[in-house]
Amino acid sequence: MTEKKKRVRTYKDTDEKITAKSLIKPFLFSLPFMVGLIIFTVYPFIKAVLLSFMENYRFLSGKFTGYGLGNYQAIIADPNFINALKSTTKYVLIVVPISMALSLLIAVGLNSVKKLQGLFQTVYFLPLVTSSTAIGMIFRWLYDYDYGLFNYFIGLFGIDRIHWLADVRFTMASICIYGIWSMLPFTIILLLAGLQNIDPVYYTAARADGAKSRDIFFNITIPLLMPTIILTSIVNMMSAFKVYDSLFVLYGGKPGPAFNLYTVIYYLYDMFWNKNKLGNAAASAMVLFVIIAVFTLLQNLISKKTNYYK
Amino acid sequence: MKVTIKNLTKKFASRDKNGEPVIAVNNLTAEFESGKLIALLGPSGCGKSTMLNMLSGILPVTSGKIYFDDTDVTDLTPDKREVGLVFQNYALYPHMTVLQNICFPLKIKKVPKDERIARAKKIARMVHIDEYLNRLPKELSGGQQQRVAIARALVKNPKLLLLDEPLSNLDAKLRLEMREEIRRIQRESGVTTVFVTHDQEEATSISDYIVLMKLGVMQQFSATRDIYNNPANLFVADFIGNPTINQLHGEYTSSGFKPDGTDEIIPIKADVAEGTRTILAARAESVTFNKGENGISAKVNDMYSSGKDWLLNIDIGNNNLRGYCDADYELIPEEIIKVQFKDKGVFLFDEKSGERYC
Ligand SMILES: Nc1ncnc2c1ncn2[C@@H]1O[C@H](COP(=O)(O)OP(=O)(O)OP(=O)(O)O)[C@@H](O)[C@H]1O
Ligand SMILES: [Mg+2]
Repeated sequence: MTEKKKRVRTYKDTDEKITAKSLIKPFLFSLPFMVGLIIFTVYPFIKAVLLSFMENYRFLSGKFTGYGLGNYQAIIADPNFINALKSTTKYVLIVVPISMALSLLIAVGLNSVKKLQGLFQTVYFLPLVTSSTAIGMIFRWLYDYDYGLFNYFIGLFGIDRIHWLADVRFTMASICIYGIWSMLPFTIILLLAGLQNIDPVYYTAARADGAKSRDIFFNITIPLLMPTIILTSIVNMMSAFKVYDSLFVLYGGKPGPAFNLYTVIYYLYDMFWNKNKLGNAAASAMVLFVIIAVFTLLQNLISKKTNYYK
Repeated sequence: MKVTIKNLTKKFASRDKNGEPVIAVNNLTAEFESGKLIALLGPSGCGKSTMLNMLSGILPVTSGKIYFDDTDVTDLTPDKREVGLVFQNYALYPHMTVLQNICFPLKIKKVPKDERIARAKKIARMVHIDEYLNRLPKELSGGQQQRVAIARALVKNPKLLLLDEPLSNLDAKLRLEMREEIRRIQRESGVTTVFVTHDQEEATSISDYIVLMKLGVMQQFSATRDIYNNPANLFVADFIGNPTINQLHGEYTSSGFKPDGTDEIIPIKADVAEGTRTILAARAESVTFNKGENGISAKVNDMYSSGKDWLLNIDIGNNNLRGYCDADYELIPEEIIKVQFKDKGVFLFDEKSGERYC
């Protein structure tokens, strides 16, 4: 039974027609936000796009020699940028799946403990609202060679102490642990919301069909949670590609002890602030933008495919 | 498979309005013959779903025993009971196609893929959904979804099929169709079936036996025909039948039943003390009318044509009742006529307890 598409556009859930008049109020309500958005996001964005194509741009005079792909050619030829892309991708590929798996375990566990759910949810939200500088300080202590909890912990298993923040071999690991940890709260909260949206009747039905908890987890819970898992993964990926502040707090503004944690955003910052190559900075921002845009499109596509209900 | 239920009780932690724990099923004993269709009937909240969920093993019992044939299954989990369950809202897995839904119970049992698809397809043909195997549940109509739910319940060859109000989400026409479908599928598969409904007409039209419940207590368990002709108490007589059975309040005297508001007597014999407050209940088709001298006087209020008959609304003393008479019968409102009661379909109950006297 396919219904023919209606000609008149109406608001969702009501049958009120959309007219110019009915739009005035919502427009006014959103105006203050829109003004902010245009001034601080849309305008700079357009400027950045233009900037990335301006060749030999001078910050002080505002002069440039013409539009072209020079900036892009420059960053692609720059081994620093390629390295930044590589280490950022590596970081994303480690942090996002691991934090997703951990969050899934924790969320499923939390979801089955009905009693203290409110308390747990608050506790897990804490990292989100705590200042990242404070967290950075705490992590620097955790990673401390002599007194840090991490070294104490691996010491229990008889492993030698590690210079978490200074040893080049472990800097990626330390930044990933921090990244995974800081991703947990947001991910857990979203997964919990997703879990609570699953109608328990499916669990009952599966039990009646003879399924055990394991079968239910893999055949019912995971597939029905898939839209949330995908959405959260993509959001996490976007934020992981922009990794920067964790470097700042852990290494005091340097990209790792031997500049080995040089990420794309750090490259951008470096180009802009230290080297004054605004065009290159803008071009690298555009590359990052395209990467993130691809993921957004992907998420839109997949979420349409995993909509089982309507 | 024969199902035996002994003193089955389910208490919930929640409290009713008197602060007592809710007893959803109260000391219920019954035996369901193999291969029959049993309707669990009763008003909303009487414990039908609770009863069904205990049979399926989803809900643990508080006390009592359930036997499948001679095996005690009271403490077995659902997967060990070999029951198929159809939910009120079907509960089809939304992310699986029709075929995957039907295959799921077999997949859980680790039946090889080829075999489970073959079995699923066979069941799908039986319930007439083999055209839709690759659709998602959201792409099916209510009736089709219901067939899938039945197929999913039947595919593992359950020894007991349990259906919880499977027709309540369908429109009136489809409901009638699916009712017959369920009956056909049940006959074809020969599986013992328990069918929950709160619609007495649905129950009487589909089942071999009816269990009628009220507030967790079984009121009557008998063959479907008998429950109409031979109700155990006033609640049963009132619940079963359309139109609802006529009820005349009055007093039992040595010569019969004296309705309130008149001195005339309806002759009826029962083993009750004189002066007992009683209710005479009479099916509409057991009330006959004449313009002669036989019977008790009644005043015509109104009449409605129901095709070949008149449905008459009359007063006997303070009591109002309804009955049928021939369409060519000439009647005018306010007219006084005579009413007689047949033997069949007329019962006498205690006014307070609803206990049946005759
Ligand atoms: N999980 C539960 N916890 C507490 N009380 C419950 C629970 N499930 C059911 N009850 C109570 O038990 C009684 C019987 O419920 P049940 O669902 O068996 O009724 P039902 O006959 O199926 O009704 P309906 O026709 O509305 O589906 C009700 O009073 C209900 O409130
Ligand atoms: Mg119910």
